[in-house]
Amino acid sequence: MSPRLRMLLGLALIVALVAPLLPLALWSVARGWFFPQILPANWTIEPWMQAFAPRSEIPGALATTTLIALAAAALALGLGIPAGRALGLYRFRGKALVELALLAPVIVPGIAVGLGIHGVFLRLGLTNSVPGVVLVHLVPTLPYVIFVMSGVFANYDAEAEAQARSLGAKPLQVLWHVMLPAIAPGIVVAGLFAFLVSWSQYILTLTIGGGRVVTLPLLLYAQAGAGRNDQAGVLAMLSLGPGLVILALVARQLTGRGMAIGGTR
Amino acid sequence: MKRMMTGIIGALILAGGAARAQEGDALLEMSWEEIVETARGGEVNVFMWGGADNINAYVSDYIGGRLEEEYDITLNRVPLTDTAEAVNIVLGEVEAGATTGAVDMIWINGENFRTMKQGDLAWCGYVDKLPNAALVNFDNPAIANDFGTPVEGCEVPWSRVQFAFAHDTARTSEPPRSIPELLAWVEANPGRFTYPAPPDFTGAAFVRHVFTHVAGGPDALIGPFDRAKFDEVAKETWEILNGIEPHLWREGVTYPTSITQLQQMFANQEVDLFFTYDPAEVGTAVVNGIFPETARSYGLSDGTLANTNYMVIPVNAANKAAALVTQNLLLSAEAQLEKAQPEVWGAATVIEPDRAPDEVQAGFAALERHPSVVSIEELGQAALPELQADWTSAIEDGWIRNVGN
Amino acid sequence: MIGRGHPWLSLAPALGVIAVLFGGGLALGLAGSFGMGRGGASGDAWIAVLSEGRVWRSLGLSLWIAFASTALSCLIGLGAALLLRRSFPGQGLARLLFQINLTIPHAVGALGILWLLSQSGFVARLSAGAGLIDGPAGFPALTQDRFAIGIIAHYVWKEVPFIGLILLANMQSLGDDPESAARSLGATPFAAMRLVLLPLLMPALIRAGAIVFAFSFGAWEVPVLLGQSAPTALPVLAWQRFTDPDLAARPEAMALAMLIALVSAVLIRAAFAGRNR
Repeated sequence: MSPRLRMLLGLALIVALVAPLLPLALWSVARGWFFPQILPANWTIEPWMQAFAPRSEIPGALATTTLIALAAAALALGLGIPAGRALGLYRFRGKALVELALLAPVIVPGIAVGLGIHGVFLRLGLTNSVPGVVLVHLVPTLPYVIFVMSGVFANYDAEAEAQARSLGAKPLQVLWHVMLPAIAPGIVVAGLFAFLVSWSQYILTLTIGGGRVVTLPLLLYAQAGAGRNDQAGVLAMLSLGPGLVILALVARQLTGRGMAIGGTR
Repeated sequence: MKRMMTGIIGALILAGGAARAQEGDALLEMSWEEIVETARGGEVNVFMWGGADNINAYVSDYIGGRLEEEYDITLNRVPLTDTAEAVNIVLGEVEAGATTGAVDMIWINGENFRTMKQGDLAWCGYVDKLPNAALVNFDNPAIANDFGTPVEGCEVPWSRVQFAFAHDTARTSEPPRSIPELLAWVEANPGRFTYPAPPDFTGAAFVRHVFTHVAGGPDALIGPFDRAKFDEVAKETWEILNGIEPHLWREGVTYPTSITQLQQMFANQEVDLFFTYDPAEVGTAVVNGIFPETARSYGLSDGTLANTNYMVIPVNAANKAAALVTQNLLLSAEAQLEKAQPEVWGAATVIEPDRAPDEVQAGFAALERHPSVVSIEELGQAALPELQADWTSAIEDGWIRNVGN
Repeated sequence: MIGRGHPWLSLAPALGVIAVLFGGGLALGLAGSFGMGRGGASGDAWIAVLSEGRVWRSLGLSLWIAFASTALSCLIGLGAALLLRRSFPGQGLARLLFQINLTIPHAVGALGILWLLSQSGFVARLSAGAGLIDGPAGFPALTQDRFAIGIIAHYVWKEVPFIGLILLANMQSLGDDPESAARSLGATPFAAMRLVLLPLLMPALIRAGAIVFAFSFGAWEVPVLLGQSAPTALPVLAWQRFTDPDLAARPEAMALAMLIALVSAVLIRAAFAGRNR
């Protein structure tokens, strides 16, 4: 491929990647931007002022969404790191089946599970509550964390733990001084993507939260559904925030195996 | 025995303060003052369609503010995109035996109300308790029947709405003003009209206008569902709607999926006519920059459908006393007048203004409307009653099967 | 690997959570589809669903969306990965955008595609500005259209970077050696790519493709914004039934949800089986 063709194709790729974000960004600073105006006739920061006005729901939703995503990511790490270690380090009877069971939520669409989980949570009194939504977000996040962590542990030298133990280290010391430093980058990647997966959830939040737990994606659909494109534009821009921050922080670590299952859905 | 047990358990829960399970029957024994005292300091969870900022603000700020100030009650407004979601929550809870439900009140009408009433999901028989119920004329058939389903004290009216069309005077100076005119206009202006596919609420209402027109007016369709009559009218209705299909937006191959899509298409000049079940919305859309200043709503000479919307309290609501206080406040003359102010919402009242205090009557008389909104009086001169829910669901199903496939 | 052991203690919490949330959800969904929980069990909902023409048309549409999105994403993703592994001006930016794209919620992308491609959207306005079309009706129907172009466009937009980054990571760990060896034996660059590199990338591509397929087959957020009125994608139909005021429609919603899970699982199983044969 000639360098010129390569550049041309690369340019096309860049344009295609950015294009859908353009109208969203423009709407967030426009008023009454309709056909045939190519660019808004009325530029205004009013949508952003409204979004952060005292009685706006957006700041609250921003906090709720962040809280839920943090909690879901922490829980998924707590459950997923030991499981990933087991899958990465051990051979045992039934391992293939366990792997299948733990990863199955990735290939079974959320709506199929969500309608049923609603029944489970109703009986447990977890519907319409933040804890219920955090728990249900484990369904899409946990398989991801397990997958990443099992990959990390597959490349982990467990001999070092044995050596540390033979030198008299206690289990907690081994965990803290030997294992954790070795798997820390993997934990960061898994945790951040679990955060982003939770951050993007819509249908599970709506089903389990019953509309009581208001997150950014819910507001995005509500405003788009009410024809308030300006507010939807603001919400879309806000939704991009954490992804950009996270990428700025850890861009280097994201090219490896961490990608193998990720993406926000 | 069973009632005693629930009573004891309820008392325990109350005493524990964990949840406010209030036996509805006990409340009905109380005086209004006692109900207010029971409600004081509590909360009420109101589930309602949340797509309009001005309506949200009215409920959260005005109603919520007054509840807080006067009764120390916290109002939690829960936004819905579809009222059926709330009905589903109540249904799920009742099926699972949950007695302290998450939902204390739902903004509702039509099929959703019928579902709640038929499923014994609505709390009934408390309307006489509300002092402000005296402002409402419950003998008015338009209030006593919710899409043909007798209300029978299972919900309390909140607002009246009437279907209206809208056009942009800068684009369409002479819009069609009756269903026959509209059908002719569609043919003369190919690609410039469409309607959202049922089950969209507004799209289904448009189809009912054509259906009513074919039946020769609503009188022929009043009363319970009549299969023979339906088949006869439906056949011709589908013929008409299939007949105009080639002249619709995208040759009728597909329809908008929501009223919002139609709203956006009207704003973007993809089509020339819009319609809504709440003409005040046209004014709001102009204020929000969605529609041009030249947008106008108007009625039809052969009439447009009108209905009343209500507030219902689920049978398992955890905060029934606070819900009663809220309903009473919603019905108060001041709150109804505030809601009718064009800059607040512009919603038509359900109370009889002449039963209200003088200053409120004067307020109603002095109401100004947004220039884009058709006057309630003008629209009300030709108001058609809504059909019973059996009719409306049969029409929706029939449309999906015969026109929209 | 440190070999055999008893890792069940470490696995138990995760397995328990998945069993309750995921297994329990599926089990209750299945029970609900047979009308359990509302007195007695019956196959009425399944019979109603499977004998309804609309359901089959929706299934057909969802399969089309999933197959087309997966095929295009894999193809373009592969091309993009091949493009991005060699340096050129703008390569860094393109890689960064790939990563950014991965973090964008589907809801945001779907709304962006709608405002970009609809008949009165951004591209249509550019076309009108350039005098290519007279009005919205002159622009081709790319959203809410019969062929689900808008929906597929969204999935391709979102999943090309996903597939591309996975393949790039794999190419990085493979290095240049396999291809160089083939080249030194006289293979053309294209032949080296097709006969050497592609088979090595295939397992990763199939795994990533399965995830794309499952998501584009079962997602509700995207077709609800970008889909036409009839037939709707299967998940949209299921959600319509779930929120139908008529309570009798609920078991049908569950049956549709189970149908989605079943079809998705069977097809993905078949893809892996075909691979391993």
